[in-house]
Amino acid sequence: MPEPSEFELSGRVTIGQYLPTGSVLHRLDPRVKLCMGLLLIVGTIGTRSLLGLAILMAAVLFGLRLARVSLRFALSGLSPALPFLFLLALLQVFAIPQHVAGSAVVWRWRFLVATTGGLFAAALLVGRFCVLVLGISLLSFSTNTTELTHGVEHLLIPLQRFGLPAHEFALVVNIAIRFLPILAREAERLMKAQASRGADLGRSGGGPVTRARRLLPLMIPLFLVSLQRADGLVEAMEARCYVGGKGRTHLIQLRARPVDMATLAACLGLSLLAIGLGTLGADAWLLHRLASHT
Amino acid sequence: MSSNTRKIVIAGVMGAISIFLGATHLGFIPWLAGAALTIMHVPVIVGAVLEGPVVGLVIGLIFGAFSLLQGAIAPTGPTDVWFTNPLVSILPRLFIGPVAWLVYSAIKRFNEATALVAAGVLGSLTNTVLVLGVLGLYRLLPWSLIATIAVTNGLPEAVVAAIVTLAVVAAWKRIESGRKGSTV
Repeated sequence: MPEPSEFELSGRVTIGQYLPTGSVLHRLDPRVKLCMGLLLIVGTIGTRSLLGLAILMAAVLFGLRLARVSLRFALSGLSPALPFLFLLALLQVFAIPQHVAGSAVVWRWRFLVATTGGLFAAALLVGRFCVLVLGISLLSFSTNTTELTHGVEHLLIPLQRFGLPAHEFALVVNIAIRFLPILAREAERLMKAQASRGADLGRSGGGPVTRARRLLPLMIPLFLVSLQRADGLVEAMEARCYVGGKGRTHLIQLRARPVDMATLAACLGLSLLAIGLGTLGADAWLLHRLASHT
Repeated sequence: MSSNTRKIVIAGVMGAISIFLGATHLGFIPWLAGAALTIMHVPVIVGAVLEGPVVGLVIGLIFGAFSLLQGAIAPTGPTDVWFTNPLVSILPRLFIGPVAWLVYSAIKRFNEATALVAAGVLGSLTNTVLVLGVLGLYRLLPWSLIATIAVTNGLPEAVVAAIVTLAVVAAWKRIESGRKGSTV
């Protein structure tokens, strides 16, 4: 007898966690928040400086404070990844040769060698991950999915001039998000139907091939039912004379206020600063100091 | 000739399946040594085969964006951590659909079933090779380990993708041309 949770899928398909605290951050224009998220990602990945990462981390922590999200709650999302992160950092230090100028050996035991360059790369890896996780969580805490798709659509409108279908793309994202609960219900129904016919959907036991084969009676109907649903949706849309984004107006009009622009400018400044510190080699002297100490 | 509305809807629905498979972990098959095979990229291949390369690209984008979110918000394994980088999670996934569509439309005129299998295999391998390639370029994994993963994980993934693609598209096309509206 499979445990009841086996057939419960609806609860598992929520994307992100919106926390309606109604803070200043929540009231920002979703377009601005999306841009800030992108800038943060670009800054975090683009920077090669620990100092730059520290600045971005401080900005994200400040944002969490502004959004009135408790730090403990935000960090709890980080904890399941920590053991893996530690492993990756070890791999980075010991298994992958680092060619950094001015790198010195810190510690050596048989074939294990830790260099300052390796430690630096590992710190960068861990720092990057933490900033990205907290930053993306912050975006999902403060923006619900409706706002998010609106933001995406409005941001892409200028690109329509170059033939990019902004409205259509936003609609695709919207359909995908709205479809998730329907899919979850369909999948629950299918699992129960197949289980009642004797299908063994319990995911324990059996070799990999058996497990793969067990998945097919669920996957194939799921795809087909979805395609049928899609057919129905297409017919409904065409019956209502849907012709795409041309000349469509919106119920909600987004307006950027001075506060929004100022926040965006500040975020842009921080990201550029972080990348700039990396390219200027602000950490080089740090590395030198470390090297000369050992 | 399928309408623009149809392309939009199929892209949305296939994107939803990909997210669904990831969010519920139904799309993962436990494999050797704790690693898991995924079929999250199969909706990308199916969408590309049914509605063309642009739809495949859009579904790939949704798949990639979701794996970035998942890596950041709810990591489930050591590899998820790497996917917070869009060059690992999003960029490689954009190519799955176009490659699958190219392969399918090149072979279709000889034999449809073969074309579907080939699209499944090559679409899946595109994912494996590009993702692992980026990881290698970032020096996150040594190349020797990457080659091992490509063989132990990539090949079975390609086989599973081919089976599901063939079964789904063949069944769907038959339904479409035969008794329309029959339930599965």
